[in-house]
Amino acid sequence: MSRRALVLAERSESGITDASYELLEAASQLAGGPEGVSAVLPVGDASDAEGLREVLPAAELLLVEGPALAAPTADGTAAAVLHAREASGAACVLLPHDPVGWDVAPLVAARLGTAAATAVSALFWRADGLVARRSAFLGKFVQEVLAPGLPAVATVERGAFPAREPGPAVSVRILPSPVGPDDLRSRLVEVRDSGTGGVDLTAADVVVAAGRGLGGPENLEIVRELARALGGVVGASRAVTDAGWLPHELQIGSSGATVSPKLYVACAISGAIQHLVGMRGSRFVVAINKDPDAPIFGAADVGIVGDALEVIPLVTEAVRSSG
Amino acid sequence: MNAVALVKQVPDRNSAFRPAGDWIDESSLGYGINDYDRYAVEAALALKEAGHAAETVAVTAGPADAGQVLRSCLAMGVDRGVHLITERAHLADPFFVARALAEAVSKLDAGVVIAGLLAEDSGHGQVGGLVAGLLGFSFASAATGMEFRDGRLEVHRELEGGRIAVVELRLPAVVAVQTGINTPRYASLRGIMASRRKPVERVELAAPTDGGGLRRVTLSKPERGASAEILPGSPQEAAAALVPRMRAGAGISFPGDAA
Repeated sequence: MSRRALVLAERSESGITDASYELLEAASQLAGGPEGVSAVLPVGDASDAEGLREVLPAAELLLVEGPALAAPTADGTAAAVLHAREASGAACVLLPHDPVGWDVAPLVAARLGTAAATAVSALFWRADGLVARRSAFLGKFVQEVLAPGLPAVATVERGAFPAREPGPAVSVRILPSPVGPDDLRSRLVEVRDSGTGGVDLTAADVVVAAGRGLGGPENLEIVRELARALGGVVGASRAVTDAGWLPHELQIGSSGATVSPKLYVACAISGAIQHLVGMRGSRFVVAINKDPDAPIFGAADVGIVGDALEVIPLVTEAVRSSG
Repeated sequence: MNAVALVKQVPDRNSAFRPAGDWIDESSLGYGINDYDRYAVEAALALKEAGHAAETVAVTAGPADAGQVLRSCLAMGVDRGVHLITERAHLADPFFVARALAEAVSKLDAGVVIAGLLAEDSGHGQVGGLVAGLLGFSFASAATGMEFRDGRLEVHRELEGGRIAVVELRLPAVVAVQTGINTPRYASLRGIMASRRKPVERVELAAPTDGGGLRRVTLSKPERGASAEILPGSPQEAAAALVPRMRAGAGISFPGDAA
């Protein structure tokens, strides 16, 4: 089998998502060059995608077209990907490691008689199959897995590969959708904002993020105090918003906000990969955690190993007295 | 029509994990139910209580001692369990696990199958979706809410950037739930007593034979490419040393700074 790689491209309001350009680069590396890259874009009507041909730099763009694909669904997108996989003869299928990939990748993999390598940060071919480096144990460890059977399926983390520059597709093929609207078992009713509380995490210069290690909501005040002293806003890890200590719109990470402040202070956050992808773009990262092996220290510039409940008020005090 | 929860036994998350070969050293670990799966069990119980399921069933694949997680599900109120007995090492391949679970689910008159979004240990995050794919059921992942509407299941899914997708699924369906979708109940004393009389069906799985889906190659600590400078000294000294570094590194001043 060839080493052709197929990418699921995703549309955004402004064209193609940043994640799609990263997948195109990953595919190009795996295929040994851009000429081995195919991309699939499910569309309701191919004429809607005219402009996208110019910004989707694949050797082969497969527009899978049909009314069933006008709105994205897990099973509709999976059917389009499988159809394009067959048409392209790709040896691997790359999807984003995001809520779209979480929905679609297992449906595609099951039909191909395999499992997907998920949360992937690196990919390479070996004589006996595709090896994927991925995150395990909530980011504590890096695991390599082998997909011995082809085609292989992988979901790739944001930021794992550089983004390809937009450019035109070399060739475009339009494939009729293999599924009609009545074949679909799921229907997208609507997409809506979850309703933000007026805090724009993404625009803040300083974000002080609270983690589960703080122990309970009664200890959030010291985080708020530090945020006030630094002129910043409070954010949170998923564990904290799930526990209801802070509202969900303050969650930073792969299923929440992506922030890139000038200063990011992680308080008692272990640093699961799902959190790291949401704050990786920060200019300067401080981590305070009692576990010296916490992955957050790998993503930080400066760290203090210690009990956050003791250290945070001391930092607040030091900031105030240093002015 | 029944509500089925897929659950997994995982090492306690506060254990000191050490990589050993292609996995962790499992010689001295405590085990319990995967945290995400507690939300799946609660969701299944809620479906029955709302009259949308006749019975609740918990299914797990794992070694003999994984029966403990089924007992904890029964103690929470689940009606019965199915234990697919296999060696712990065979859980390495999500496709093997999903195929076994799918076969079990196919015999359970399942209307809604609920899985946790991912397992805390392997974190493949796809067994629910694979089961859906293998059985031709509907599927939605990252669910933060679900309710019945006109014989279909309406699921709220978390997207990136704080957006929510509302999707409608035909039954039977598999839903992979986020933590936070509900508040899992604790087992009552009465629940624990009652669980002892609840049935658990045990099925011995054949060892995987073919190439399967995924094989473990290595497990290691993440490389610390940009490892943090750890500030030494007492907490007071470290805090004092941190402030000028923050100011210089971030290139900003703080509200209390002299103008």
